[in-house]
Amino acid sequence: MSTDIDYADVQGTILRGYRVDMARHFILSITDAAGARAFIGQMVSGAPGVPQITTAARWTEKPECFVNISFTAAGLAELGLTTAQLGKFDAAFQRGATADYSAETVGDIGESAPAKWIGGMDDGTRVHVVLNLWVEEEAEVLEKVTAKLRAAFAGCMRELSAHDARALPDNQVHFGYRDNISQPTVQGAPPRKHPIPDDQPVVATGEFLLGYPNQSGGITSVSPAELSKNSSYAAFRILEQDVAGFESFLATYAAEAKVDPEMLAAKVCGRWRNGNPLALQPTEPGTPLPMSQVNDFTYVNATDAAADDTLGLKCPIGSHLRRNNPRNAGVVGTDSAHHRIVRRAMPYGPAYDPAHPDTTPRGLIGYFINASLTNQFEFLTGQWNLASDFVKSAAAPSGSPAGNAYYNVSGQDAFLGVNDPSNPTGPNYSSFTLAGPGAKGTGNTTIAGFSRMITTRGGAYCFLPSITGLKYLSTLVPTT
Amino acid sequence: MASPLTLIMPIIPGTDLQTVAATLAQYQPQLDAALTGIGTVHYARVLVLDRSVANLQPGGGTDSNVFAVITEYDGSFDKYIGDFVSQVGAVFDALLQYVVGGAALIPVANNVQDFSNFITLNDASQHEPNTGLFQAYDFTVQKILADA
Repeated sequence: MSTDIDYADVQGTILRGYRVDMARHFILSITDAAGARAFIGQMVSGAPGVPQITTAARWTEKPECFVNISFTAAGLAELGLTTAQLGKFDAAFQRGATADYSAETVGDIGESAPAKWIGGMDDGTRVHVVLNLWVEEEAEVLEKVTAKLRAAFAGCMRELSAHDARALPDNQVHFGYRDNISQPTVQGAPPRKHPIPDDQPVVATGEFLLGYPNQSGGITSVSPAELSKNSSYAAFRILEQDVAGFESFLATYAAEAKVDPEMLAAKVCGRWRNGNPLALQPTEPGTPLPMSQVNDFTYVNATDAAADDTLGLKCPIGSHLRRNNPRNAGVVGTDSAHHRIVRRAMPYGPAYDPAHPDTTPRGLIGYFINASLTNQFEFLTGQWNLASDFVKSAAAPSGSPAGNAYYNVSGQDAFLGVNDPSNPTGPNYSSFTLAGPGAKGTGNTTIAGFSRMITTRGGAYCFLPSITGLKYLSTLVPTT
Repeated sequence: MASPLTLIMPIIPGTDLQTVAATLAQYQPQLDAALTGIGTVHYARVLVLDRSVANLQPGGGTDSNVFAVITEYDGSFDKYIGDFVSQVGAVFDALLQYVVGGAALIPVANNVQDFSNFITLNDASQHEPNTGLFQAYDFTVQKILADA
């Protein structure tokens, strides 16, 4: 099957980073299905006064705003899809983000439990639509387009909440790291305006769009066919970052591990806060590498021992980077290319000022996009971020006395883990391994007992229909 | 702690056992490589049994045979179903052509959820009184390999 993609049939956020500084996400509940279907049709056609859905088609002049829309399973049911039709959708999507199984799978427990989610997202049955608006940097444009959208959906959907995001300077996230460096290269996707080359395989289109071959050679599809090709799924997430807690963690545990706090910050992430990867800059942050180099590395190099980091001596195997994209390092199952996600998230809340610590909510909000919530978002979050038994036995090129990768990882992801410090024998106990050379982990330093850094404040499992799919939904005649 | 899989799949009546045996032999190297790649399977074997015979041993009959895929594995089968399909999907496609109802699942890479449901339905180890498993050790495959 050809992987030529009709960009004009794909919602833009799936394949394009909009490179904007402001966003507003509306959480909506359908009150009038016929009106909602008409609203969708107006958004597709760009009816007078209604902002048009942004596609992945190339633009000659950058638009003043970008608009996309997604639906939960409950939302598609409200619009008229039958139970039998929904039964062919991704299993995780069907059950939704607030289901107990979903929450337990991805670690949304305790303070992160769906019952505590904000903005009406605690009741997944009421969350039907996630409507997204992005603008370059003009608050005026944000409000102007918001007014248009609200006027358009007012009669058919109830606004449960709206959530704003605003980029921080230098593409930083609240923990102080430079972000937006690594994204999968999707076969057939439009080239990035500012390419960031890497040494990783191009990922099959079907990992991000339904209707194309995926990494396993299969093609994911749903019924009706109009909703299949060029559609996708996304986990919408509101992730609150405890910056004061993170800085406190660095101060406390760097002393315990006898390393500099910035070194510990780099070790738990896999990059220094300036974005340089430990794989290339293992001992000091250095000056920021050019974009041509900053993402161009692997962890295993059988022919060059100096460039190899099988054991995670430079970049820990349990670091955020390696857990979420092990690149060419050995993992049980298959490999990293089968579990990639596209991240379209942006910071929310004011920048943290260490001179004036506060507890104002701040974090990251947006979509994590994939063609299978089950095999990508939930697998990534639930397995590689919450477990430490996914690493394959592997010795360094220098031989087994230096150790084995199996022993050089513990606990959960320092950022995305549950990291419960209260139960040292429990499955979610926080632990992080700084690997050192030595058989069976004898050279390692392990820190443990730290608290959760990121709390989930909201979420929804969403379906991003193709333009063909949106047209189908807009004219759907529900069976009675 | 490992988990058991005992997948019982009725073979379409009239299927020639020699053809089945040839297919199994043809795909054995691919299956071995795939299971090595997955890295969580301790042991695995595929049997053909005959339901029409008291001791179930295959004897050349063609109407009452079943496949039995028996393994012990680490971790969650459900969570790793996508990886499992990626690694052994082609082998299962070859087996399912002989299985009652199997054609609807081919290729399994296109029907991951249905294939997962099929396994749950036909895994004897998920049905009482077959859920038990003795394990002489509490080590994963990867720990054993790391210590080897």
